[in-house]
Amino acid sequence: MSLVALSELLGATVRDASGAVRGRVREVAIAPQEHPTRIAFLIVGAPDGERVLPASWLKTCGATVRADGDASQWEKYAASDGVLLLKRDLLDQQIIDVHGRKVVRVNDVELDSSLVNSHVNIDVIAVDVGSRGAIRRLMQGVVPAFTMRALLEKIPPRVIPWQYVDLLETDPARRVKLKIVYEGLSKLHPADIANIIEDLPPAEREAVFETIDEEVAAEALEELDPKVQVSLVESLDSDRAADIVNEMDPDAAADLLEKLPEARSGQILKEMEPEERIEVAQLLEFGKHTAAGRMTTEFVSVRDNGSVADAIEALKQFEGSREAVATIYLYSVSYKLTGAVPLVKIAISPPATPLGELREDAATCLPDTPDDEVTGLFDKYNLVTLAVVDEHERLAGIITADDVITMLRHAN
Amino acid sequence: MKSLRSLLKSWKIRLALVLAVIGPGFITANVDNDAGGIFTYSQSGAQFGYTLLWTMIPITIALIVVQEMSARLGAVTGKGLSDLIREEFGFRLTFIVMVTLVITNFGNVVTEFAGIASSLELFGWSKYLVVPVCAFVVWAMVVRGTYATIEKIFLTASAFYICYIIAGVLAHPNWKAAAFATVTRPEAAGMRNYGYLYMVIALVGTTIAPWMQFYLQASVVEKGITAKQYRASRWDVILGCVFTDVVAWFIIVACAATLYANGHHNIANASDAAQALRPFAGEYAYLLFAAGLFNASLFAASILPISTAYAVCEGLGFESGLDKKFHEAPVFYWLYTILIVLGAAVVLIPRLPLVYVSVLSQVVNGIVLPFVLVFMLLLTNDRELMGDHVNGRGFNAVAWTTVIVVVGMALLMIFFH
Repeated sequence: MSLVALSELLGATVRDASGAVRGRVREVAIAPQEHPTRIAFLIVGAPDGERVLPASWLKTCGATVRADGDASQWEKYAASDGVLLLKRDLLDQQIIDVHGRKVVRVNDVELDSSLVNSHVNIDVIAVDVGSRGAIRRLMQGVVPAFTMRALLEKIPPRVIPWQYVDLLETDPARRVKLKIVYEGLSKLHPADIANIIEDLPPAEREAVFETIDEEVAAEALEELDPKVQVSLVESLDSDRAADIVNEMDPDAAADLLEKLPEARSGQILKEMEPEERIEVAQLLEFGKHTAAGRMTTEFVSVRDNGSVADAIEALKQFEGSREAVATIYLYSVSYKLTGAVPLVKIAISPPATPLGELREDAATCLPDTPDDEVTGLFDKYNLVTLAVVDEHERLAGIITADDVITMLRHAN
Repeated sequence: MKSLRSLLKSWKIRLALVLAVIGPGFITANVDNDAGGIFTYSQSGAQFGYTLLWTMIPITIALIVVQEMSARLGAVTGKGLSDLIREEFGFRLTFIVMVTLVITNFGNVVTEFAGIASSLELFGWSKYLVVPVCAFVVWAMVVRGTYATIEKIFLTASAFYICYIIAGVLAHPNWKAAAFATVTRPEAAGMRNYGYLYMVIALVGTTIAPWMQFYLQASVVEKGITAKQYRASRWDVILGCVFTDVVAWFIIVACAATLYANGHHNIANASDAAQALRPFAGEYAYLLFAAGLFNASLFAASILPISTAYAVCEGLGFESGLDKKFHEAPVFYWLYTILIVLGAAVVLIPRLPLVYVSVLSQVVNGIVLPFVLVFMLLLTNDRELMGDHVNGRGFNAVAWTTVIVVVGMALLMIFFH
């Protein structure tokens, strides 16, 4: 096992079995289809053009690269989309550091070569994003190798292990070939994903959003800065945009569509699932700065003659946002809102307890209640959720505390 | 009725569209008329009269081409200039460019503080008091994020430049001679004269300053202008460039008709330069000049250090951004702070010839410009990066000519020194 930096390997002289120098290393390639970390071949700049040196022929790897066989057997290099070229695609480029949850630039790549059955396997183990890689790149060839080694040893490394690296590639076909799926990124909190997205250039934002799962994309989209949100949705094709908007909270979806040009939002609405479309379209009808414009139509409600077990069943079926489940609403036989039960009470009561025993009065407002009155109600009654009821006293939707925080921040 | 409403709406949309993209180009152009610009144009008019007016048309064409390239790079790639240099040319070259940029821009920051010092000296205020105060105000304003609101005040106050146009007219210049000097060929003898070449390079450097390319491209990216909306942006850039150079032309003419005509050939301080506004403002010329110079200097001083810090950190991969805390982005904040503190400190050196230093820093701008241009040319001609938006032949011709001519003049200047 020995570590070698990509910048050391690039430009290294290459000798074949005869011992003669046949060229210099131009590129180092991984074929992700075959192995996610293993070097598949080197591209050697030979006097007669670029040649492919398969990694399985390598005997040693470092300042000098020695290979089996004769240089005449090395095939001519033909460009291919399916390989990751470490110098072109990784060195000096931006990547997503999934562990550190940010976008960083690659200063160098750390490779590990190990001897297996008399030939070497080289694997990418980490990318260097710290000053050690930077200084190596800067000083290489300028100061003698031993001075550099002594210098670099003094600098603490700042590396990101390869499994935490998500590559950025804007060409969709190439993303598939290189197996870039943003698995690590998708597991982050939506707010962190949003932060990362905001740090990326537009084409890269689009690339990430086209690739990640719709549900994750929807949650991240809700957290994005409104300006970025709009430009991102405008750049996606309406098919994909509709898929993502489908998964959003109806109130967030309505907010977003409202900011888009009419033609565009119409297109997206048309391609959404009928159920979500109706909800979002209804929200779009209401004034933006009223309770109805702020509310979500996804809430948990059960008949007021039910039991705790019924409420738990309803919670299990519920697909809306986590904030909305803080209160379980009760309705009468004529669908009128008759009260509310906080989630805590459900959690600590035996399943057979009738909900009537746990009932509290629900705080309510009308659909046309303006923003400032809504925030006033939250403040006065220390609410977590507020019910919005229509003229028949039926529950039309709810406003959650996180909506109020957004309202207050935007009001400033 | 309905058609009227739809007409109104489409008109509103169009207006909104223009207003939405007008900005980066025009703002950059305004900041371009900073302390270095005002001093250099004034000195050129005082020292050479109308003689150097021939530079204005070629400089304007080059400025438009260069600024258009920056804006296009930003709109098509969505990345800053230093990001692109890093991604296409590797770490070492980026490092060299960034060090050069820091040194050059440091000279410009010094010039802005020199502008602040000399403008307020006209009111009789000591530079030892006002420069540290202004340095702190600039630092805090940008870090606190109040800059965005204040930018509009700066922009409005930039209307001061119109005074030069009026002053130029009221000074009764020899219009015929000025017009002729603008379209005439330069004399070959000038190319063997050190002082002449020095001033021409200063004029190029102050008008097409390297920092502008980084700043404009960053602003275009920041504004989220894409390749699709780019058409409108191009007009913003062209308008800004023309405005800058019309003002420059009038500053030179105003100084030529007043200072040069009266045998006042060297501008040693701001009160000399203020004389040019006398035909327009009479006794109030000092006041007007001081206010205008102060605004221009403070405006540029709030932009230069921060945009340098952004460019360097993005190119070299350090954390950057005002949304980060000091300990999260130490290099960014330190670089920003040091540029301001040292820039202000240099101006406090007793008896420092402020105008001389300002013009010198513009010569450095001029010498560095070709190197930045070469990178921009390589980038704008890269089809893999720019797709169909690569440079046309005319653009390449103008830009390469600029590179060759400026390098040639710099070499001649060193030779005749």
